[in-house]
Amino acid sequence: MTHRIWHKPSRTLLAATALIFFAVSAARAELLIRITEGADSAIPVAVVPFAESGQMPAGDKVSSIVQADLTMTGEFRTLPPEKMLSLPSRREEVYFRDWRLLGQRYVLVGALSRSGDRVQARYELFDVNREERILGETAAAPASNMRSLAHHISDKVYEAITGVPGAFSTKLAYITLDTANGKPRYRLQVSDVDGKRARIRLESQEPILSPAWSPDGEKLAYVSFETGKPVIFVHELATGNRTKVADFPGLNSAPAWSDDGRSLLMTLSKDGNAEIYRMNLDTRQLTKLTNHWAIDTEPSYDATGKGIFFTSDRSGGPQIYHMDTPGAEPRRITFGSRYNARPRPDNDGNYVYYVHQRDRAFHIARTELKTGEETILTRTESDESPSVAPNGRMLIYATRQNGSNVLTVISADGGAAYSLPASEGDVREPAWGPLVR
Amino acid sequence: MNFSAQSKAFALLLSVGLVAGCSSTGGTSEEGGEYGSDVAAVDQEGGSTVYGGDDQGGVSSSAMTEEERMEARKQAEQQALREITTFYFDFDTAEIKQEARDVLVAHARFLANNPGQNVRIEGHADERGTKEYNLALGERRANAVQRFLIVNGASRGQLETVSYGEEKPAVMGSSESAWAQNRRVELVFE
Amino acid sequence: MRDHQREVTTTGVPPWKSPVALSVTLHLLILGIALAGWSWTSTDHEPPPRSISARLITQQEPEPSPVVEPVDQQKRDEERRAEEQRRKEEAERQRQEEEARRIAEQKRQEEQKRLQQQKEQERQEAEAKEREARKAREAEAARQKAEAEAKERARQKAEEEKRRQEEAKRKAEEEKRRQEEQRKREEAERKRQEELARQEAERKRLEAERKLREQQLEAQAEAAQRAREEESRRQREAAAAKAREAQMLSESEKYQALIRERLSQAWYPPSSATEEMTARLQITLLPTGELAGVRLVSSSGNTAFDNSALGAVRSLSRYPIPNDRDTFERYFRQFTIEFNPRRLR
Repeated sequence: MTHRIWHKPSRTLLAATALIFFAVSAARAELLIRITEGADSAIPVAVVPFAESGQMPAGDKVSSIVQADLTMTGEFRTLPPEKMLSLPSRREEVYFRDWRLLGQRYVLVGALSRSGDRVQARYELFDVNREERILGETAAAPASNMRSLAHHISDKVYEAITGVPGAFSTKLAYITLDTANGKPRYRLQVSDVDGKRARIRLESQEPILSPAWSPDGEKLAYVSFETGKPVIFVHELATGNRTKVADFPGLNSAPAWSDDGRSLLMTLSKDGNAEIYRMNLDTRQLTKLTNHWAIDTEPSYDATGKGIFFTSDRSGGPQIYHMDTPGAEPRRITFGSRYNARPRPDNDGNYVYYVHQRDRAFHIARTELKTGEETILTRTESDESPSVAPNGRMLIYATRQNGSNVLTVISADGGAAYSLPASEGDVREPAWGPLVR
Repeated sequence: MNFSAQSKAFALLLSVGLVAGCSSTGGTSEEGGEYGSDVAAVDQEGGSTVYGGDDQGGVSSSAMTEEERMEARKQAEQQALREITTFYFDFDTAEIKQEARDVLVAHARFLANNPGQNVRIEGHADERGTKEYNLALGERRANAVQRFLIVNGASRGQLETVSYGEEKPAVMGSSESAWAQNRRVELVFE
Repeated sequence: MRDHQREVTTTGVPPWKSPVALSVTLHLLILGIALAGWSWTSTDHEPPPRSISARLITQQEPEPSPVVEPVDQQKRDEERRAEEQRRKEEAERQRQEEEARRIAEQKRQEEQKRLQQQKEQERQEAEAKEREARKAREAEAARQKAEAEAKERARQKAEEEKRRQEEAKRKAEEEKRRQEEQRKREEAERKRQEELARQEAERKRLEAERKLREQQLEAQAEAAQRAREEESRRQREAAAAKAREAQMLSESEKYQALIRERLSQAWYPPSSATEEMTARLQITLLPTGELAGVRLVSSSGNTAFDNSALGAVRSLSRYPIPNDRDTFERYFRQFTIEFNPRRLR
């Protein structure tokens, strides 16, 4: 739940305002009623199990994947199939009155058919109150790739209802830590947004940190201690080829990509203390962007692709700063506590998300860039590594739960939380991959 | 602080043994701080025999001057201090604590006297906060120790720093005690 | 458990070949034969005695031949007379004998007749006995035959029965399976129906609660209105029209607040909604409070936002409206709703 800094005005004030407004509007011919607040809860949606013709591959059903996707956002409350009064698969079978009775706003129906090694899905989304179809499509995928088909449907449904593209076909990168033969084992993994189909990309007995997605989703930059000190690699996912791009004395850490994928921001301490540099990946040329005795680290380009957010303790403790252009005089963004670090702006330029200490706990918070207003988003208390979904609607972060480190997804305004299924060992450092067209 | 109490007690204990075990021939070795096991200590003034190290029988030795004794004592103290190779920090600072200064001075002097000796300075942080910032914080702590050593006599070439941030805790757990023990710099002599 | 056995009828066998018919026919045949050979004798019908007379016992004595002897005439006359006398006496005797014979004959004949009759009777009895015996034998034979047949039939029947039962069992199993599936389907259907009923009941309960709350609010509004009416009427006679106007306004405000509250609860603005988005809808209501029409008069520029507003408006099945018809017509017959999210500070 949120610790909202905004608050509702008193009812009398509201009534007074209303009274004045209506007194004025009484002079007009027609009454005007203003609705300024909506329901503070998730939209009820029914995802009806799709009809199937032909042998469907084993594994989760398409409709249950869609259901989980929509639930993960915190914006939807899906109806369990056992509560459905009927299981339509086409418009003629949809009795809108039934779905109104069940309190549903939207109902998704569809049918899957198998032909050879491909599966085709025909699906339709209906607005129950308006009794209209708002989405209808046929999509197909190889039978071995049903999950991608389901995520595609989730993307479309999400966009049809909210107007925002869905982020369900994106990938996650993260690090897991467990032990093998008494030694620590770090693994860099890439999975679907729901944690499924995880694949190990790097395994090491020394720590791996800070995975960062290239804008085209094809490469990961990360920090590896495999040589005994932090070094930055760029790892090509399709081939497994990787290149060591920064191995200077001292720190080589906190890589962050530019929008064109051709340069990396990074933290180097080769000149004495941790400063932010930009490296041109083609020429390996370095440009120093900060020059302060304080720690300057955790850089991230903003939504414009030109300005840079970063963490600096130049004011005594770590705070979020912003440079409008690389190398410009930084402006402090956060003020509300003595520890604010690891800024991650969304792609729309609305908010920046970061780790925020309040009392003795570390939460994820966000600041609205237009107003400077800060909101704490999480109730958990050992939070790290926030990463925003590319559509700006969800956030993933690492936290401790029941003694182990897990990944949790929340809606970007701090609504419902959804913990990813626990994999082996500890999970940390999630990075949300880009939307891939 | 744990550090000071522990080291004080330890130093005290050793000092007691040391004083009692002062050899008239100045048998305290200058290499690595190990005593010769066959040297017996004789207290010149009291005439009693107190043994340090192995029991090998007393060996008469010539009288030690006051100066030499004091020097020996000082060196033993230094040796004791150099037993300490881990230094702790408060949350989000790289400030070297008062109690650590004497120890680091001892290390610096030792390094100055042994130019062939190299040491790796490893900086760490507790698990709270963000990993990258903690990496930088660990480095800052290691750098602070490095600077201090240089100021006090060590040469830069003997020193190598590396930071592990929060990645290699000494103590697992999420308690104040565990965190306190993880905010540290360790000296690793090579 | 219901009896799945259907009525077993002999199917597949033409009626004239059925064992029952066969035995009946046989019986008729036997009966016919028996009857055909049956001599319908009664004690009245006698064969003529001639046929029996072959076994007469008594015979007629032959007439003695007249012996002629040469004797003197007198003597011969005397003898003749005596002969005549003897002849006359003989004739008389013969006549008497004849008579006697005739009588005896008659008696004999009667006796014969009687014997014949007796024999006839006996014969008939014997015959009857024999017939009966034969009948009995035949009956016995028939019975045995029938028995054998019955056994045969029974055996066939049993076989048939067995076949039928096997058939029936197989069918019953099939039926059972079908019934099982059907039952499962019915079960699922029943569950769904139950759920439907429960949902319906729940919905009705919620609806009833909501209606109750509405009614309570309406009652309160009415009571408040009544109080105001009385006061204004007492105080301002001259400004009756003005007072009426103010009253309508304040009453309408209550319902506006109600409508606003209901719509707020029913509106799910999309998460991408910004404070700049404003959608205006024109609503037309029926005097019952039901929605007669919705029109988007001013779009927010964002389809998802507009649709969320339309959805909210359509989700209310009945809008709370004042009972006073004039107020309703003035303010709530047609009005505008504006959706514009604001974060209030």
